[in-house]
Formats: sequence, structure tokens, C-alpha cells
Amino acid sequence: MVSASHVTIRKRAAVLFLFVALVMVGLVGRLVYLQSYRSPWLAESATDQRVREIPVEARRGVIYDRHGRELAVSVSSESVYAIPAEIRNPEETAARLAAILTLDREKLAAKLKQRQSFLWIKRKIDPAAALEIRKLGLPGVGLTQENRRQYPQGRLASHILGFTGIDSQGLDGVELTFDSYLRGRSGAVVVEYDARGREIPQATHRFVPPVSGQDIYLTIDTVIQQIVERELEKVLRDTQAQRVSIIAIAPASGEILALANKPDYDPNDFAAFSPKLWRNNAVSNAYEPGSTFKIITTAAALGEKVVRPEDRFFDPGAVEVQGRHIHCWRHGGHGSQSFVEVVKNSCNVGFVNVGLRLGADAFYRHIAAFGFNKPTGVDLPGEARGLMVDHAKVKPINIATMAIGQSIAVTPIQLITAAAAIANDGQLLRPQIVREVRDKSGRVTRAFAPDPVARVLEAQTAQTVKGILEKVVEEGTGRNAFIEGFRIAGKTGTAQKVGERGYAQGRYVASFVGFAPADSPRIALLVIIDEPVGPYYGGLIAAPVFGAVMRDILQYLQIAPHGGPAGKHDQETHLSVPAVINLPVADAVRELKAAGLAARVEEEGERVADQVPKPSSRVPTGASVLLYTQTPRYAAGEITIPDLTGLAPREATALLAELGLLIQPEGGGGPAGRQDPPPGDKVPAGSKVTVHFQDQPANFGNSGNNITSPNP
Amino acid sequence: MLSRRLLKNLDFTVITVTVLLVLISLVVIGSATHINTPGEDRYWYVQRQGLFALANLAVIFVLLHFDYKSLGKYANILYAVNLVMLLAVMFLGQSALGAQRWIQIGPISLQPSEFAKLIMIISLAHLLEKRQGRLNTYKDLVPIFAFVGVPFLLVLKQPDLGTSLVFIAILFGMLFIAGIRMKHLLTIIGAGIAFMPIFWHFLKDYQKMRLTVFLDPNVDPLGSGYHIIQSKIAIGSGMLFGKGLFAGTQSQLNFLPENHTDFIFAVIGEEFGFLGSFVVLTLYLILLYRGVKVAGEARDNFGMLLATGITSMLAFHILVNVGMTAGIMPVTGIPLPLMSYGVSSLSTNLVSIGILINIYMRRQKILF
Repeated sequence: MVSASHVTIRKRAAVLFLFVALVMVGLVGRLVYLQSYRSPWLAESATDQRVREIPVEARRGVIYDRHGRELAVSVSSESVYAIPAEIRNPEETAARLAAILTLDREKLAAKLKQRQSFLWIKRKIDPAAALEIRKLGLPGVGLTQENRRQYPQGRLASHILGFTGIDSQGLDGVELTFDSYLRGRSGAVVVEYDARGREIPQATHRFVPPVSGQDIYLTIDTVIQQIVERELEKVLRDTQAQRVSIIAIAPASGEILALANKPDYDPNDFAAFSPKLWRNNAVSNAYEPGSTFKIITTAAALGEKVVRPEDRFFDPGAVEVQGRHIHCWRHGGHGSQSFVEVVKNSCNVGFVNVGLRLGADAFYRHIAAFGFNKPTGVDLPGEARGLMVDHAKVKPINIATMAIGQSIAVTPIQLITAAAAIANDGQLLRPQIVREVRDKSGRVTRAFAPDPVARVLEAQTAQTVKGILEKVVEEGTGRNAFIEGFRIAGKTGTAQKVGERGYAQGRYVASFVGFAPADSPRIALLVIIDEPVGPYYGGLIAAPVFGAVMRDILQYLQIAPHGGPAGKHDQETHLSVPAVINLPVADAVRELKAAGLAARVEEEGERVADQVPKPSSRVPTGASVLLYTQTPRYAAGEITIPDLTGLAPREATALLAELGLLIQPEGGGGPAGRQDPPPGDKVPAGSKVTVHFQDQPANFGNSGNNITSPNP
Repeated sequence: MLSRRLLKNLDFTVITVTVLLVLISLVVIGSATHINTPGEDRYWYVQRQGLFALANLAVIFVLLHFDYKSLGKYANILYAVNLVMLLAVMFLGQSALGAQRWIQIGPISLQPSEFAKLIMIISLAHLLEKRQGRLNTYKDLVPIFAFVGVPFLLVLKQPDLGTSLVFIAILFGMLFIAGIRMKHLLTIIGAGIAFMPIFWHFLKDYQKMRLTVFLDPNVDPLGSGYHIIQSKIAIGSGMLFGKGLFAGTQSQLNFLPENHTDFIFAVIGEEFGFLGSFVVLTLYLILLYRGVKVAGEARDNFGMLLATGITSMLAFHILVNVGMTAGIMPVTGIPLPLMSYGVSSLSTNLVSIGILINIYMRRQKILF
């Protein structure tokens, strides 16, 4: 080799080495990039792909009533999950699981082949299926604890409680509004997996324990709720109304003791019911209150001192406001009356005048103070705010109609809250549904004290209003709400519903709002019957419901009768009507007789198809039970007139109301005599039956006016 | 017996670096394999690799007694044997991972393409030495390209794209040092690049995919791109100091495929971090520096060419493998010398380094 060539070699060897060294430096640079600049992200990727979290659901808090009775509980339930990477044979796994869980095999197989680290196969399965799956021991398939919500009382208080979804999240009712307390915090089992999805046995399995949800104690009293719902079901059946609602509230605290709407749904299986039935009309539905709103007009007028109870009003039968005639419900008018009598008679003309005397500013101020046209703030979802004419645009005609509860829409919860404020000596409280929240150890973490919103009336004025409302029940349109031995204050209401073009013919909302005992109110109650078939006067169909519910509540709360006017049916004992449906007629008659009741067979036939009053109704001893052999009674469209001979006015009224007939009483307060149409005639629902009562017995002090035509 | 003079000329740097790399390799192979090998055989890979390392040390020791010059005498026979072996693979070989590369001889499966590289170096060195001074025209280059072309195509056919590329690296490295004209070299490289699109058509689908995912691994993150992504995650999550021996989640939990063979450098990156990777790369750089030095100081052209070929082979392997592991070169499936598990590869590399030592040992010309 020549030396020149040797130099070339050395030079080229150096170049070659330099080239290699340069690439090497590049590689080191790349390592710096990966292991320093990119390393946080890459380290996280490394963790992500080997660590999986299997969720462990927190136990959802229990919902109790005010006395600690369980209304919503969570029972342990197991859910099946899959870790697809770990599954060896997706087809076979799918086939075996599908068989146990009644799932579609092919869909499941497709699901199991997905590239996903974790997926649910089926949530909240029953224990037998869980056991079977556990026995199979399929690789990649596991079970984890979850909770299934149960409502042990079924439909009871469904509109208050609401329901939860598959992830135990509250979807409606208190379950939704108090979800943050009830939910707790999910935990997890953190498991490390290798690339083939095998669990690493020696790896540290971290268990992040779930935090249990807190328990909620409602203001609801289950017994009162049951009374309310029982009566609602009855009235729904009897009036064939579209919807019925009741709210019971404790005026001194603003606590809701019961709240229910019918028809309702079963929260255990809420998905099987139409979402329309989930709607809580008591807070979500705005309606024209009609005459029940007159208590607000009354309170405002007395509060503003624009009227005194003894002021005289003259009702010629109609009043003209801005060219429009507003008629009194009573043809020919009430003539000259005191303000107390205006309220007692629910006289429209009188109230229009009172409203006009109040004027827009004062009236609006009071309406706002009573909490209308804005949500009450009750802790239930979907509360409506109502509707009224804008203050700036209000005309006298609007004031006139609002004074009688028209051209204003309110929610039931607003109206009962306002009525409760009058009962509570003029102090308006926010209605409440929850008393306290407690943690798992029973420690109270949040307590709800009465929440004063506004003083709407002076105590003295409130007393005056109460006194007048007491007269309404004692002597006026609210007589059917009367309860022996108690002082009841209340007001009836009948509003024609607004249809597409003006007021709708034949569609009414009958209602009654009131409280008892009138001197120291414990319960305020609102009854709403939306679109009843047949009689629709609040005084006729809502007042008796109010009376029945209130009587039972007062009895349950052991509130002693005192200071009320003398009972109208002294010493009368009531009993429960036995069920005789499906019995042979002769047996039914015998059974009713044995129970101390009279029986009247209204139709020819062998077996009893229906009875009035319904089984379990409370009736006076010796009352008649009508037996029908043809079904169905309501669908027939015609009602057979019963024989009312010998019945007391209340009894006759109740019987006719039960049947869907109106009573047109005549004469005194004694037993029924003549009637028209005669027994056995068939008439359409809602027909009037004229009944002549004999002169009253001596002890029926004031019952001369007991049964009169109801007010609108 | 080796003379004192020869012993004095031993390249202790190369020996030290080699021993260190082999020891590191045994530890890392152990870490990468012990989890997935059940029971008693937990360290089977380590033992086997260690055993072959020792055996090769013995072979090298024996071979040091013979002057590397005598390899020239067997060059043509070796070349022929090489072709026979590669043909044998084609007809008798076992396939693994989509390629037919292995011949089973008793308990040992041999990968002839590994040995083919060294044989290629020896026979090419012999050829170039014979054709010394005849590297001035394109015509002079044709026989050389044909000489390398035959085994190259046989390896490519297996298919073993990685190894065939090593052949090219060896060829160019040796031609460069042998004195090819720069004009010729650049023209040939230019032509090669120009013909790339045609060459593309001859690639298998999976090879095309590998090149595609190299540009964007996320095209197929669970298929062809999986290796690159997992390897990058392994290296990156090792950070500065690594997760510690046996503690690399990527390799221990099987997220990193081929973690004891082609992707062993990712294990080093994950478990020993940047520091560990840097130390290993430095050792390789020292080894390559010594290789170039051996070539420069070789007693004759044959030794010089031999050393150049071996250094080129090692350099190509190291750079491409580490680049692939770090996600900046395509996945071609070539092992990291002295580090990846594989007895054929280990033997080839150790014997090659033995030859470097041999050349260096005999670098001084006999003056009398």
C-alpha cells in the first residue's frame, strides 16, 4: 500500500467515525426529549394502560319521614362488568352470560370484542343471577357492588320522593333536589393489569372506599300522607276527575306534612309509567284559583284597611267594570250584605267592589307579599311561578277579576303557603319538605328551621281574616268542610278552566283551602279537583274531602275537639262500609244488615256489581248502601236515582255526590221525604235531584242552611 | 502459545467494554424475561445467553492464536458455505414472526443471516484486497456489487429487510474506506434514493406498514404501530433515573413486545432511565471508536477492510436499533449487538469483536 492511500484511509476512517458519533449524539438528544421533555405524558400513558379502576358505588342515603319511617332505601345489588382484554373467548362468554342475564347474545359478543378497558354488561341484577355468574368464574367478567333504590311504601309520596337512575343519581323529587347529600362519593378498586389483561396478583390493589350518602328526614308524616292519598284515590274515583291534589302544611313551621297528586306512579318502576304521571302538579301546575283566592283579596282589603268587617255591600246580581258585566254566581244577587257576609256567600259582586277599592298598587303589593308570581322556594323540582297581568299594564277589569280569583294563575303550593301565612298570624314561611340531614353516625349535618319570608299581615288582621273564614265553614259556602267539635276556617273555590277560546264549557277546577283548628291552626290543607265529571262545585265536592282528611288528621294528631259550634250529628256513630261486591244480592243485603247498615237493591240481578258508598267508606250507622248489579256504573252514562227517603241532609248529599248527582234541597233539616225525579229514574251524571226535607229536629241549631246550593 | 508481545498488544479497552456490555445484557435480559418464564426456568434466557458468551470467549481465545490473515484463505469457501446456508433456510427453515430465518440443529436454532454478515465482511475484504487499486471506474464496481448482491437478495427473500440493509451498510462502509471515489459513491447513493419508489413496490405489505407507522405510529396503534408506541412509553416513563431493575411496568407487564430481543434498549431506558441509556450508548461509542482505530492501525489492507466491515456492521446495528426503539427509525427487526437475546447474534458479534482484537494485536509490522 502506498502512503498516500494510507492518509486517505485515516481521513476517511475519521469521517466515518464522526458520522457515527453524530448519529449517536442525535440519539442521545432523542432520549433527552423522550425521558425529560415528554416523560410526564409518557409516564402517565404507562400508568393508564396498566391500571384500571372498578367503581364501587357509594350507598345512597335513606329517605325517612319525620318520624323515621323508611320511604326510600338502597339495597345492595350486584352489577356485572367485563374487562374485554381479559376475556379469552368472547363468543362463549357472551353465550353463557346472555343465557343467565337474558341479553342478546350477538350484541353482547360484539360488545365484549370492543377495545375498551372496562364496560358494564348489566347493572343491578338479581342475586340469583349474580350467584350463577360468580360460579361460572369466567375470565374477564366480574361482579361489583352497587345499590338498587327501593321505595318500600310503593306509590306513597311518589311525587315528593321522585326516583333515581341507573347510576343511582337522583332524577326527580327530593331524590333530585337533595342528590348532593344522598349521593355520597363513589370509591374504586384500583387493579393493575398486564398487557394481556391479566390481573397482577402481587401488585398492590388499592381500595378507595366509597363515602356513604347522608340520610334525609322529610317533613312528611307517613300517616297523614296515607290519609291524604286514600281520600285522593276515593275522590278521583268518585268524581272521575283528570287530576286531584292535596297539600297539607303545618302553618307554624311551614313544614309540608303531606303532598300528593293522583293519578300517580310507582317509583320502584317509574319507567313503566307515562312521564306525564311523574309531574308533580302540586308545585308544577299553575291554575286559576277562583274563589279560594278571595282569601287573599280579603286579607289585602283588611290589611290595607279599605274595608271593615261590618261595611255594607249591595249586590244587585252583576257589576259593570269597563263595560264588562261580572255576574254573581247567585242569580239575582245577594242584596245588601256586610263584608263578612260577602266572604261567607263568596259574593262576586262584593269582591269586585272590594278589589276596586283596594286598587292595583295595594293589591299587587299584597299579592307579591303572599308569594304569588314567584316560586315559593320549596325544595322540590319543577316549581312553576304562576302567571298574572303585568303590574304596569293592569286595568281595572283585571283587578276586578283578580279579586275573584280569575285572570291570575297560581300554583297549589303558592296558595297553601299564602293560606298558611294567614293561619300563622300573618307570618309567611317558606314551605319546607326536609327537616334534617344526618350522616351515617346519626349526627345532624343540616337542620331546617322555619324560614320566614315576609310578614304579610298584622297579627290582629290575620285574626280577623281567620274569624271570617271560620264563618264560611260554619254558615257559608264551606259548610261541607265542617267537622263536629272543631273550629274550621276555609274557603271554597270553583273555577272554570280556560280553554283555547275563552273559558271552557264543562271544565272546572273545584277546590277548598282552609285550616284547623281556626283559633290555633295546626294544619292548613288545600284540596284541588281538576276537571271532575258531574258536580263541580268546590263546596260540594272539595269541601267534603277537606272535611274527611282534616277530621282524620286531627284525630291522628290527637287534637281535642273544643270550642267549635255544636255538632250537627250529635252522638252519631260512624262505621266502615263492608265490601259486598261480587256477593249474591241476598248475601250482600244480609251482610250489610249485620254490619248495621241498610241495603237498597237498585237494579234487578243476581250478583252485586257495584256498591255506593264504596267499601271502607265511613258512614253513619243505619245509612243505606246502594247495590247495583249492572256494570259498569259510570260507563253506562246514566245514573239510576236512588231512594233517599228517610236520609238526613248530609247523608243524602253525600250519597248523591257519590253517584255524581247534584242535590237541590228544599224544606228543613229533617229526614228526606219527597224527591224528584223519583227513585229508579235514569238521569245523566250531574243532574239535579230536588229533595224535600222535613222540618229539622230541635237540636239542629243552625242546620236550616245546611244544604243549599253551592257557591261557584 | 501467544507471545508476550501479542498479549501486550491486546486491546484491553475493547475487551473491557465488551465484557461490561455482555454483563449488562445478562442483567437486562433477566429482567425482561424472568416474569414470563415459569418456575425453575425463570432465568433460562440468562443462562443460555451467559453460556454462549462464555463459549464464544473460549472460541475467541483459540482464534487469537491464528493470524487473521489466514481467514483470507477460506474467504471463497466461506462465501460458498454462506450461499448454501441461506438457500437451506429458504427450503428447510422454520418460520417465526412471518419470516423464514431459522435452521434447527439439535437444541440450537441458528439464524444463518446473522453469520452471513460476518462471512460477507470476510469475503468482501478478501475480494477488495485482491482488487486493490481497481476501484476507479463504475466497471470496477460491478463485480463487487454482484458479489454482495447474491447473498443480499437471498436474505431479502427470507424476508429479512433489516439484515439485508446491514449488507448495504457493510458494503458502503468498506468501499468508503477502501478508497471508492466520492463522485461514484454519491452517484450510487443518489441513484439508490431515486429508485426508492420502485424498491417500495417490492416490499411486503407488512414492511410497507412498518415504514408507514414509523411516520405516524397512531395510524395503527394496536397493530404495526404498537411496538413503537409502547417502546416510546417505556423509555419516556423511565425518566432520568429509571424505575429500577425488575420494576419497569412496560416490560414486566408485557406491554413492551420483544422486550428481550429487538426492544431491549427500551427496557434499559425504562428501568435505568436516561442515565443508564447514556452509559450504554457511551460504551457503544467507545467500542465503535476502537473499531475505527483498529481499521486505521491495521497491519495490512485485509485487516483494515475487515475491521471497517465489522465496525460498519456494529455501528449500523447500534444506531438503527436504538433509533427504532426511540421511535426515530422504522422498525426493521435488527437486534442490538451484545445486548439483545439471541445466540446467533451474540456469537457473530463476539467473534467479530474477537477478530478486531486479533487485528489490533497484530498491528505492528514485523521489522526484521
